[in-house]
Amino acid sequence: MSFLPNHEYSSITRFVKLGDQKRALVSRLLQYALVHQVLEIPFDEIIIRRTPEGKPYLVCDDMKLAFPNFNFNASHHGDFVAIASEPICLVGLDIVSHSVPKNETAHEFIQNFSSYFSSSEWYHIMHAGSSDEMLHIFYRYWCLKEAFVKAMGTGVGYKLDDVEFHHTNWNNIFVKVAGKELKDWKFWLLDLGQNHSVCIARGHPRTATTSYRTTLKRIEFDDKEYYNGFHLPNASFTFRTVEDLLQVIHGADRVPFDISTKCDVSEDEGSEGARFVQQ
Amino acid sequence: MASITTSSVFFPVSCSLKQNQVSNLKMVSLSFTGNSFPSLRLQPSRFRVACAAKPETVEKVCEIVRKQLALPADSAVTGESKFASLGADSLDTVEIVMGLEEEFGISVEEESAQTITTVQEAADMIENLKAKKA
Repeated sequence: MSFLPNHEYSSITRFVKLGDQKRALVSRLLQYALVHQVLEIPFDEIIIRRTPEGKPYLVCDDMKLAFPNFNFNASHHGDFVAIASEPICLVGLDIVSHSVPKNETAHEFIQNFSSYFSSSEWYHIMHAGSSDEMLHIFYRYWCLKEAFVKAMGTGVGYKLDDVEFHHTNWNNIFVKVAGKELKDWKFWLLDLGQNHSVCIARGHPRTATTSYRTTLKRIEFDDKEYYNGFHLPNASFTFRTVEDLLQVIHGADRVPFDISTKCDVSEDEGSEGARFVQQ
Repeated sequence: MASITTSSVFFPVSCSLKQNQVSNLKMVSLSFTGNSFPSLRLQPSRFRVACAAKPETVEKVCEIVRKQLALPADSAVTGESKFASLGADSLDTVEIVMGLEEEFGISVEEESAQTITTVQEAADMIENLKAKKA
């Protein structure tokens, strides 16, 4: 943890459970490693802050022209911590672990969340067949909603039953908000193995919440520029262990944090970033 | 901590006294206009009154939170504890609120539910809702 700037310490130590602290730490390290690798900013010059709603962003006056709107989003749940970035569009990322509820049935558990789903989504969940299938569908929809909300930076407070996801067997996923399709948003849902799902949301910067919008370099793009950004090929997730991550950081001559328990770490650096990594 | 806001009151030719009672606090707003003057609109200022929720309520909330987050009985959970710091994700927060609704016989609107981030905020909201029911 001594690698990170002081102001980040409390954001990690505030977590009561050690597992949460570890995930928070890995998430922070991933953010710094990502910025360092993609934008080639020296570690000690990286400044990452959070909006009032809690969304992290890079403070950078001199953004590379190739990445006019570089922004990223991280998520952690269960055994994974993931990060994704985009050069132009907003990006949101969420991981869920399909955990089976302990003190109640799957049906009872899901019932708690009924007001967060649209009627068609709810129908889909309720008519899934088995409890397991119900849970899978529930978690996937939840993951999509979370990724969407996180991309915009609104945090909580969004009327999620107005946000309705449509898909063809979890492909070609798009969203309708208050009945209107958002054509400049796209979503992908992937299974991460070990009962985890990850969702990536990509959308137009002008949809960002007010506070997050101020952190972006550009809100408006002409159609062609936006089209290019919107249709960038997807990088696949690069799986790394915590040891790999520490090596990246260690290369900057810092003392790595000693983590005794391994947790898998996956990293998707967005299209531009992935090309960088593969080189 | 209970917070009370007043909305501006406008009465044409009359003098009226309005009394609201919330959690043992009395609030009075008064407005009047005269014939020869243009209507006056009083803008009462917003004020917050610190009034801590009962310790039993806070303790009960702590218990529900501990259970939902599978924390050991001796773990440090107090009024200031933030749900997220205790390990709650978005799903846990919804379930905590549902648990509170069941335990205290109240109904929480989604918008309010999403603004609660600490044990104290939950306890205050519970007392506020219970008082409104009464």
